[in-house]
Amino acid sequence: MECSVLRDERLDVLYGEADPATRERVEEHLAACSTCREEMAALRGLRGQLAAWEVPEGLRKTVRPRSAPSRFLAAAAVLLLAVGAAFGLSGSEVRYEKGQLAIRLGSGDRDLRRLLAEQDARHHEEIQALQATLSAAPRAEPAVLPQVEEMIQKSELRQGELLRASLEDWTAKKEAQRRYDMARISAGLSYLDGKNGQQVARTTELMGYVLEAAQKR
Amino acid sequence: MGRTDEALVEACLAGEWSAFDELLVRWERKIRGAIYRLVGSEEEARDLCQEAFLKAYRGLGTFKKEARFSSWLYQIALNLCRDRVRRRKGRTLVSLDELEEGGESLPEARPSALDLLQRREVCRTVAAAVAALPEEQREVIVLKEYQELTFLEISQVLDVPLSTVKTRLYRGLGQLRQRLEHQGLRGTTPLPAPTP
Repeated sequence: MECSVLRDERLDVLYGEADPATRERVEEHLAACSTCREEMAALRGLRGQLAAWEVPEGLRKTVRPRSAPSRFLAAAAVLLLAVGAAFGLSGSEVRYEKGQLAIRLGSGDRDLRRLLAEQDARHHEEIQALQATLSAAPRAEPAVLPQVEEMIQKSELRQGELLRASLEDWTAKKEAQRRYDMARISAGLSYLDGKNGQQVARTTELMGYVLEAAQKR
Repeated sequence: MGRTDEALVEACLAGEWSAFDELLVRWERKIRGAIYRLVGSEEEARDLCQEAFLKAYRGLGTFKKEARFSSWLYQIALNLCRDRVRRRKGRTLVSLDELEEGGESLPEARPSALDLLQRREVCRTVAAAVAALPEEQREVIVLKEYQELTFLEISQVLDVPLSTVKTRLYRGLGQLRQRLEHQGLRGTTPLPAPTP
């Protein structure tokens, strides 16, 4: 009976979870009960065997999550990129020659200036050639100029006429609109006058009736 | 002393999602090991472990503050294992190749070839015996023997009374003992009695 009652306690002892009192009770029982003592020994042996089953090597590694790069690293990367780009654009270069590291800086700047100076000289020459071509061109005939002036004057007159006609047309339209608006306002006022007149006549009539009635009394 | 699991969960929920990385580092190996012993496949253990953490990450909002994070995580992992084993109609796989890999890494300097062979054999036999246990007993054996959870923790993970945990363990150990003895293995290397 005690064997089954103490089963859970024996498990507590087997796995080291028993409090001192429970442990003492179980030890006392094991000392007296050969069946439980043998079982306990067998279970300890079994636990030794179970420990032989290990997880494969590949599953034992802890995978460190890849953390996001810090702002400092991002800034450093951008700075490095900028320096690299500037280094490359300036025409600087790093060479490993004869066992030594050689850094050449700024050759690109000189090249760029030389190219700009060459282009400037070329443009200057082209401008001079163009000026020479223009000065060598035949001048216009004297009779042509009055004709051109006359054509320009005629054109100006035409433009003036068109402008004047447009202005007159616009003025006429505006005047017509103004008259129309005035007529509408006048009509509106007459209607109101008429209404007021009728009202006055009606009031007068009523007053007459009142006076007449008073006199009869 | 770093933050507790529960403090890390709170940090996650407060927006410090990098705290989950720490939880991952703390628990991934153990959870993967438990899953491996429950489903018996290295590949599946990796997949399911990843899935378990993903589920945990997505479900952090539903985590109850009074519970232990590890118990909650084990619950998620165990449910995934049950689903997987059920899909295979209750069969727990034990890959012999993987078991051999595991056998090679037993902690002892320069074991002889005979020792290695014997250990591989023991490893294989034990794995097969655990895999043959009913699911409920297998879970308790794995959580107690290999994950070293306390009885109370196991009862929380499985959501069963303490006495049920001990009954399942006792029966599981009994079956294992019988199977291993049947295979010719006897407990010749007993573990020392634990000290209180």
